[in-house]
Amino acid sequence: MSIEVPVKTAGMTQPDTAAPAKEAPHPVAMQVKGLNFYYGTSHALHDISLDFPERSVTGMIGPSGCGKSTLLRVLNRMYDLYPGQRATGEVIFDKQNILNSGVDLNVLRSRIGMVFQKPTPFPMSIYDNIAFGIRLHERVSRSEMDGRVEDALRRVALWPEVQDRLSASATALSGGQQQRLCIARTIAVRPEVILLDEPTSALDPVSTARIEELLDELKTEFTIAIVTHNMQQAARCADQVAFFYMGRLIEVDSTARMFTTPREQQTQDYITGRFG
Amino acid sequence: MEIPARQSLPAMKKAPSHQGGQKGDPAFRLLVTATGVGVLVVLGAIIAVMVSGGWKAFSTFGPGFLVSAVWNPVTQHFGAAAPVFGTVISSALALLVAVPLAFGTAFWLTALAPPSAAAVIGMAVQLLAAVPSIIFGMWGFFVVVPVVAHYVQPAARQLLGHVPGLSALVAGAPFGTGLFTAALILAVMITPSITAVMRDVFLSMPTVLRESGYGLGATRWEVMRHVVLPWSRQGVVGGIVLGMGRAMGETMAVTFVIGDSNHIGWSLFAPANTIASLIALEFPESPAGSLKLAALMALGAILMAISFVTLWFSRWLLARGEQAAGR
Repeated sequence: MSIEVPVKTAGMTQPDTAAPAKEAPHPVAMQVKGLNFYYGTSHALHDISLDFPERSVTGMIGPSGCGKSTLLRVLNRMYDLYPGQRATGEVIFDKQNILNSGVDLNVLRSRIGMVFQKPTPFPMSIYDNIAFGIRLHERVSRSEMDGRVEDALRRVALWPEVQDRLSASATALSGGQQQRLCIARTIAVRPEVILLDEPTSALDPVSTARIEELLDELKTEFTIAIVTHNMQQAARCADQVAFFYMGRLIEVDSTARMFTTPREQQTQDYITGRFG
Repeated sequence: MEIPARQSLPAMKKAPSHQGGQKGDPAFRLLVTATGVGVLVVLGAIIAVMVSGGWKAFSTFGPGFLVSAVWNPVTQHFGAAAPVFGTVISSALALLVAVPLAFGTAFWLTALAPPSAAAVIGMAVQLLAAVPSIIFGMWGFFVVVPVVAHYVQPAARQLLGHVPGLSALVAGAPFGTGLFTAALILAVMITPSITAVMRDVFLSMPTVLRESGYGLGATRWEVMRHVVLPWSRQGVVGGIVLGMGRAMGETMAVTFVIGDSNHIGWSLFAPANTIASLIALEFPESPAGSLKLAALMALGAILMAISFVTLWFSRWLLARGEQAAGR
């Protein structure tokens, strides 16, 4: 199978030389350096170094089990919940290595939000789903909370659909609405980075398109890292793309070059659908 | 085995090899319907026996049977109030102790414990849940009763004996047997089973939902309180009701340590009786056809009624909770 990958070039400043992506105009929000990751004794990520430019979308692609989701879970230390999982190396965020043991994980995760494969609304009302995260970190008045909730819901274009039933259970929403709610919940906490782990893999095409449009708006304010199985999605949404294979970062480049003139044969094979 | 294509299925139904299936299906349906209906029949039969057996007591004493605390075989006066009081109070106290303990243990096992410790302790919890109640009764009688008599009640009297309003709770001679000891034994008995249920419902929660909580920067306690608990409310209440049912009906362990006294009072340390312990103690001395036997049967009917009401109440609580959550 071979697929035609639409490439988004508009709006991107492209030097003609094959310069690495880290020389992109955006400063780096998050920098992974020499990262190794282990599930017990199994070595899952090998010496990864990758920059996430500020206010842009980094797409992470690769076949199942290549380590892209694992990397995402390192970036907010989610792996820390599970004994036996450990990371070595550096992840620099705000001049600090977040892999250090002294890092306050609750604060870190409020600054680096995460959206999951499946929509994960909490078993509470739509309003409380948004307010929950805010209440964890800030004390705000009722009226300010109302404003924050409305703002978050508006930004994911969910407000018109739910404004009359904010006290209804979030679990009654459709899958696409639930996922937008989860994104709203994440941005309501005002993070700097948003990690998305295949956020549309459980959604229908229309809902998927809405989420992708949303990413385009969100990147004006947030640094976004998105793991996706869908190469068209990476091509449509991402500014730079990183290709992973068997726990190694094979190649990272601007989306345009990645999908037109990849440097590595493995990347070429993967994006043309020869394996994976 | 060959898997037939979808289109060929109707044809397959007519094939001889499926004849057995066509006959077997109604037979199987009859069988499972019978077991289903059987549950209803057995339940009805038990209620009928208890109510008819106790009818003589209900008709002799009228509604007074429920409120009278007299239990006097000599004068043939029997009332249900004392054992009902003992049952409700000992179970309530047991739950008061057991539910926080069980919740704490389940929380620790599912969110904080290192996996090796969680495996060992989790196993121990299940073993504890499987200990026969007579073992708890003997342990209670030989270990807990002396400890309560020599240390707990004297200490409680020192602490509360001079506090107005609370001194009555610790009054009485230090026998060691009584409501408090019974509640303690019951708590030890029901904690493991409540823990086991809670742990299972906490574990059955989807990992991503839990991680979503952590992903927003919630602490382990905040995830437990706001994400796990609301999600698993039904299972948690189910576990508690299960424990309460066991506490109310528990006979052997309670009989050992409750002190056999049909008395209603404020003191937590006073000997008392539960419905189950009174029935166990008095049944051998109740001749067929006697008013006493009828009174014991009536007590049995009341115990069943209390259990049903509790079950119904917990369902009502759950339904109300669901409504509040907008479901």
